[in-house]
Amino acid sequence: MAQASSVRSGDFETDFWKDAKSRKVWDEIVPGEPRKTLPYKLTQEAITLFCKAVGETNPLYLDEAAAKAGPYGGLVAPPSIHILLMFACTPADDWMRSPGTVNAGQSWSYNIPARPGDTITLQARALDKFIRRERLFVVHDNVFFNQHGDVICSGRGQTIRPA
Amino acid sequence: MTVSFDQLKAGDGIEGPKFAVSRESIRLFCDASLDYNPLHLDEGYMKGNFGKTNFGGIIMHGMNNFGLLTRMLTDWAKPPGAIHRRLETRWLKPVRPGDTIQPTGIIKSKQVTAKSRWVLIDVMVKNQNGEQVAVGEAMVEFPVATAAA
Repeated sequence: MAQASSVRSGDFETDFWKDAKSRKVWDEIVPGEPRKTLPYKLTQEAITLFCKAVGETNPLYLDEAAAKAGPYGGLVAPPSIHILLMFACTPADDWMRSPGTVNAGQSWSYNIPARPGDTITLQARALDKFIRRERLFVVHDNVFFNQHGDVICSGRGQTIRPA
Repeated sequence: MTVSFDQLKAGDGIEGPKFAVSRESIRLFCDASLDYNPLHLDEGYMKGNFGKTNFGGIIMHGMNNFGLLTRMLTDWAKPPGAIHRRLETRWLKPVRPGDTIQPTGIIKSKQVTAKSRWVLIDVMVKNQNGEQVAVGEAMVEFPVATAAA
């Protein structure tokens, strides 16, 4: 899709099966070990497409003149943009892309908004892993920063790993 | 409707717009989030047994619920100058193409801290049958500086 190409940074592989063998399985994930991450330049195109996908119509994200007059003095991304940033800031061999990864819940705290043009970085790790009712869980610990080193948001999540 | 911290009370409701889920909306969410997990794309894969579960077909991203809840909260918070500060969610049921889902919230409590004011909100997403597909809790800050606005 031409629309999506502006969201993707470099050669984003949309076939998540392709690099499946190179990704860590639950047994290999070491709690506390930092994940490899990639800086990502957030564009207005990516924000606009994300807004479309969740039905966001707030002018703070989409209307430059209105946003300029608003509380942030310019366009910002919706807080939930970390949904995109999680995949945009991680490489193809990251285990978040393992086919069959099931999201089991998330909590996110928001500090300042991301803005179009920001270069976003991620510090991420598995913080814990456990087995419950025969399912393999990992606890995620993620913090996104802008190019000034300001925290944008921080989140904790749980996924069930494919067996 | 613009709300103010002082007027808000436990039990007050918030409602977000309904959202029609389709193969196209799920595919658009893949492109917008870069989450191309085959759970959301691959009918053949999803026909098979999945651990102990069989979904019977593709399902919507759980984080699409999260995005709809965020939209409801930010649109509600903006007019009074409040700020969406936290959202915690978990998923209860899969959402499939053809479903229509809607986020709602109920004010749980208010709290004044040393430097600010907070509203805690129980949030949920329901499908067209009234079943909860996601539940959680949100925290919205009403900064003191904007109290006069």
